[in-house]
Amino acid sequence: MKKTKTSYLLRGTPSVLLFIGAGFVMASSADIRAALGMGAAVLLSMLLTSIVVSAIHKIIPAYAKTPVYLMIITGFVSIISMFMQAWFPEVVQMLGVHLAALSVSAVIYRDAEEIADHNGEVKSIEVALVTGVFFTVVMVVCALIREVLGNATIWGKPIAFLQDYKVSALVGAVGGYIVLAIVMAIINKVTGLHHHLDESKEKEDNC
Amino acid sequence: MTINVILGILLAGILSNNYALLHFLGTGAVIENERSTKRSMVLGLGTTLVMVLSTLITWPLDKYLLVKVPYIQTMVFVLVVLVVVEVLHLIAKNLLDNYCRSDFVKFAINGAVLGLCVHNTELGLVEALVTAAAVGIGFMLTMTLYGKLKDLAVDEDAIPASFRGLPIALLTAGMIALALVALSSISF
Repeated sequence: MKKTKTSYLLRGTPSVLLFIGAGFVMASSADIRAALGMGAAVLLSMLLTSIVVSAIHKIIPAYAKTPVYLMIITGFVSIISMFMQAWFPEVVQMLGVHLAALSVSAVIYRDAEEIADHNGEVKSIEVALVTGVFFTVVMVVCALIREVLGNATIWGKPIAFLQDYKVSALVGAVGGYIVLAIVMAIINKVTGLHHHLDESKEKEDNC
Repeated sequence: MTINVILGILLAGILSNNYALLHFLGTGAVIENERSTKRSMVLGLGTTLVMVLSTLITWPLDKYLLVKVPYIQTMVFVLVVLVVVEVLHLIAKNLLDNYCRSDFVKFAINGAVLGLCVHNTELGLVEALVTAAAVGIGFMLTMTLYGKLKDLAVDEDAIPASFRGLPIALLTAGMIALALVALSSISF
């Protein structure tokens, strides 16, 4: 089957990706600014890593791939976090250690190892863009729900009529799980992704 | 450091300072765990060892070498974690490969290890090492618990189709996190 952008999304890949990237999605979805910042960081680091890895993968020996790819990802994440620190220090403060932890995120590593390592630049860029945009949209939607209902604010500005009705638990860790679960269930329902889960869930290890 | 403080840190590592469930660091590795109890524990112990050894190296590096160049902290820490994991894998290759056919290297390099190394730079060395051990044990127990949950026979039809897979796994994690949050006010 020819893998197009649509088939990439519909074959359940995002469900698998969200499994391994659930951590940073929930960590950065308590505030819309943080979600957008993390989304931009994920998208840019994935895009830049894909371009570099797809260009040099043939000259890297198999035994050195893990360290080399990790250092490439870490380099780009460090550069992006430095730019963000200069331009959006508030966002970096909100994201905290999760921005640095993006360096060892399985989502970006997997993209480098499974997509960029086996494809040319065009295909790698296409997949990185689709994945990055998907993560950004999921994070922003979750953040919108958590910030508005949990904190009664939007973009940090208070919403007067919601002040007495806010559900503070949504901003905390538990809210992250519940909101992402509901958003994912809605995505499953709308796109029919759950029908593809069994066939696409990769059993990397059965141990 | 008194025994009460050490016990407090150990308890917090498992309950209120649980990295995977409450700090969202290494959550993916825990949620997708489908290993048996024994294998989860061996892999969890390996990760705990990585956490302690990485802290032992990154703490003095950050204190004495990275003071003037804090912007390369992440790169240095990732490199240290990578070296620790590779060396550990080299030493215990047979044991680790027996217990987990997947790559231990890829599993052990996760957000929890890096996040812990960064957090620990704000503590004293002994406190940092105890925290690393506590967080590692908490990580191992959460991972084992998740592996055990996957083993339980669940009537798939009882779960709405759209909630099968990731959503129900997240809701389960949310319930465990809620219980851990409730325990965070324990003091002794």
